[in-house]
Amino acid sequence: MLRAYFRKMASTTQSPPRVNLAEIFWSWLGGFLGIAAVAVINYGLLDKTSLLLLIGSFGASAVLIYGAIKSPLAQPRNLLGGHVISALIGVTAFKLLAPHLWLAAALAVATSIAVMHATRTLHPPGGATALIAVISGPQVTNLGYFYALMPVGAGALVMLAVALLVNNLAPQRRYPEFWW
Amino acid sequence: MPDNLSDFPAGIELKDEDIYEAMRAIPGYLDITPGDFKEIYRLAFQHALERLSRAVTAAEIMTTDVVAVHPDTAVADVAAAMGQRGVSGVPVVDADHRVMGVISEKDFLSRLGVPEARNFMSLVAGCLKTKGCAALPIKGALARDLMSAPAVTVAPETPVQAIAALFTDRGINRVAVTDPEGRLLGLVSREDIVKATLGRGLPC
Repeated sequence: MLRAYFRKMASTTQSPPRVNLAEIFWSWLGGFLGIAAVAVINYGLLDKTSLLLLIGSFGASAVLIYGAIKSPLAQPRNLLGGHVISALIGVTAFKLLAPHLWLAAALAVATSIAVMHATRTLHPPGGATALIAVISGPQVTNLGYFYALMPVGAGALVMLAVALLVNNLAPQRRYPEFWW
Repeated sequence: MPDNLSDFPAGIELKDEDIYEAMRAIPGYLDITPGDFKEIYRLAFQHALERLSRAVTAAEIMTTDVVAVHPDTAVADVAAAMGQRGVSGVPVVDADHRVMGVISEKDFLSRLGVPEARNFMSLVAGCLKTKGCAALPIKGALARDLMSAPAVTVAPETPVQAIAALFTDRGINRVAVTDPEGRLLGLVSREDIVKATLGRGLPC
C-alpha cells in the first residue's frame, strides 16, 4: 500500500508543448497593458487618496487572462467571481479572527478555494486576494468590505477590459471562451 | 489510470505523441496535460459508443425474414435452403418455433471429411486431394445432428454493442433474437450490425 502511495508521485505524462512566438508576444503585450492600466490609475489618479487599485494578485491574474486565455481558470466568470468572492472571505476572516493572523490567513485561503470550487469560479489569484486581505496591514484592512469592490472588483474589471481588447486583436486568439 | 488504454478499440489507440502534436497545432496555451486529455478522450469515446449503441437494439436491426429449419430436416435440405437464400447460417426451431440451435457453414465444415476444416478453402483443398465428395460423411444426417446447441440467443431489447461483444467473445457470426419463451423473432448477423452502423453515420 505504501508502495502504491509513493508510486503515485511518479510522472504519468509530459509537460504541454511550448507555445509559438506570436503567442509569447501577445501574452507579453496583454500583461504589459493590463497591469499598466491598473497601475496608472493606482499611482496616477489615486496617489493622493487612501484608495488602491493595484494588488499583488493581479500579477497572477495577468498570467492567466493574457497568457493562458483558453483556460477555464482565465474566463470572466472566474476572474471576477474568484476575486470578489475571495476578497469577501478574506475580509471576513480578518474581521473575525484578527489578531490571530495565522489562522485568519489559512482559513481565508482554504475557504476561498472551497467556495470558488463550489461556485465554479476557481481562479488561483483569488487565493492571493484573500490572503492580501489578511496580511497587508492597515492600508488594506481599513477598507473593510470595500476592499472587495475596490481595489479587487474594479481592478479585475479593468484587467478584463484590457483582456477583451488586446486578446481579440491577435489573429490567432479569441477571448473569452465563455462569459458566465 | 491515464496509461490504461484497454478500453480503446484496436486501431483507435491514441498515443501521448499524437496528443502532443495536436496540442502544438492549436495556437495558444492549453491548460491540460496530454495524459489528462487522453483520459478525457477515452471516457468520451466510451460514452459516445454507449450512447450510439444504446439507442439501437436487436429488434431494430434484426432480419425478420428468416428461413428456419426443423431438427429433423435433412442436412441436404438445410444446405440447399442456405444456398438458395445466400445465407451462411440458419436457426433450428421446434414445432412451437422455439429456437433449439443454429446451423452455420462452420458446423458443416467441421463434420465433413476434411481435417482441420476452418473455411471454404480447406474444403476445396480436401476435395481436390481426395476422391469423391467431402460431404459424404454427413449424407443422411439431420439438422439436429449438426446444429450448434443450445443456440446463443438475445432478447429484442439487447443493445447492438452487447451483440457485437457477444460475436467477438463467442466467435460467432449471428445470433437468434427470441421472445421470453424462446420463440424465434429474427436473426442478427454481423452484416446487420455493419449496415446499422453505416445507416447511423457513425465514424468509420
